[in-house]
Amino acid sequence: MKPSSILPEAKAAGLFGRFPREGLVSLLVLAAVWETLAQLSPTLGIPPFAVPSFVRIGRSLLTVTPIDVAITLLRVLGALLVSFVLGMTLAMVMYLSETLERHARPVIRLLMAVPIISWILFAILWFRGVEFRVAFVLVIVCAPVFLVDALDSMRDVSRDWRDMLRSFRPTRVQFFTKLMLPATLPSILTSWKIVMSLAIRVVTIAELVGAVTGIGHQLNVAQQLFSVADVFAWTLVLVASLFLLEYVLTLAEARLLKWRPA
Amino acid sequence: MNRAAPVEVAGLGKRYRQTTSGQEVVAIDRLDFRIESGEIVAIVGQTGCGKSTFLDILIGLEAPSSGSLSVGGFTPYGDFDRFRGRIATVFQQDRLLPWRSSLDNVRLPLELAGMPEKEQRERSLGWLERLGLGKFTGAYPHELSGGMRQRVAIARAFALEPAILLADEAFGHLDEVTAAELRETFVKLARECGSTSVLITHQLEEAIAVGDRILVFGKPATVLADVSVAQWPREDYAGLREAIQATLQANAPDPRLKR
Repeated sequence: MKPSSILPEAKAAGLFGRFPREGLVSLLVLAAVWETLAQLSPTLGIPPFAVPSFVRIGRSLLTVTPIDVAITLLRVLGALLVSFVLGMTLAMVMYLSETLERHARPVIRLLMAVPIISWILFAILWFRGVEFRVAFVLVIVCAPVFLVDALDSMRDVSRDWRDMLRSFRPTRVQFFTKLMLPATLPSILTSWKIVMSLAIRVVTIAELVGAVTGIGHQLNVAQQLFSVADVFAWTLVLVASLFLLEYVLTLAEARLLKWRPA
Repeated sequence: MNRAAPVEVAGLGKRYRQTTSGQEVVAIDRLDFRIESGEIVAIVGQTGCGKSTFLDILIGLEAPSSGSLSVGGFTPYGDFDRFRGRIATVFQQDRLLPWRSSLDNVRLPLELAGMPEKEQRERSLGWLERLGLGKFTGAYPHELSGGMRQRVAIARAFALEPAILLADEAFGHLDEVTAAELRETFVKLARECGSTSVLITHQLEEAIAVGDRILVFGKPATVLADVSVAQWPREDYAGLREAIQATLQANAPDPRLKR
């Protein structure tokens, strides 16, 4: 029998996901309104730099420096990997020790309640290195999300499966590799999607206030130059990068979860 | 192959406290019996009589509150790791892992037991063939019928060629034709493997068809009757069924079972 192939939603998902026609129409209307405003801005008394035309934004896009994009993406991916490993490890330890979980849960809730801007300020006050500051902020924001999601989904793994596996006497490592990780993989991948978009937003703010490279820094420069076109161009690059990363994740999801019934 | 082991149950009791009311519940009152190596024993009892709790203790998932249970001289709970690769269970629901193909589900206990990969594959393929699933080795559980899934679960248990084989209402949820067919396969394979087998069921027909012996559990679990099916006249199986039924209803041994 032929195993089920790629999930239909993954098949349908392109770079922009299952994009409805209505959504495309809305975006086109928004673009048209923007361009009209840009053209009419002098007569409406709006400063021309405030609503740049698409031609002006296009020119700004041509000045985008790939190195800054690469630096931001590397920061995001590096921090996500560290956060994931840290979050998963702590989730597994807390799964094994309910006492530790009872002690650690309130601390994690506290960490998650701290505003991102406060973490950035702490990072600036506590650490010197720019890279370390950015990494610290990303990890402190992202790791708890991975941890809580993983722990909750581990606790949700059916008792029937746990008892079945335990009846065969797995080692602790086998218990996680043969059951817990594959069983929680769908929710782990969902966490990645959530945390990835969170990380893109966080890294921008962190770079905005504390870095001399990256998209956030370039946004800061554009703001100082009062160049809305540049802000728009860098924002577009950021959003496109997020869509690209999400697309890669969707492909990985389709491959890793091919066993799921259509 | 693992050597079949006898099961010794002496003064076994299990009590637990209900989480909501805090009341103490007696799941198993006192059990005393012995199952010989290679024997197939069916345990029958009413719903909620403690059969499944007994099975959990026998698997080693729960510790007894009093008394002892040993398999080949070792306790499944206390000597947990000693039973790796020696004990296998067919559960009521197949409990197949949906991300594993049939072959990989059968391989699971062999992987856990640390068997070399080549041997895992050969042995799993062999058991799937024996259970008529040779053409479905790559199929995922959701692509199989209920009967086929239970066959995979049986193959998974037998692939270990365990010293002790347990079945918990393993055929109860299947249609009668499939259930009868699987029961027959189960008994045949259990005899070939020589495993000591314990089958828990609430279906008397199934207990009579499968067991060398039938243990009738009262409520809370205590042995009301211990019947040797082989010594019961074959033409009077209807009488045996009636006597067990009467025992269960009265929660006391029926005189006909004392012969």
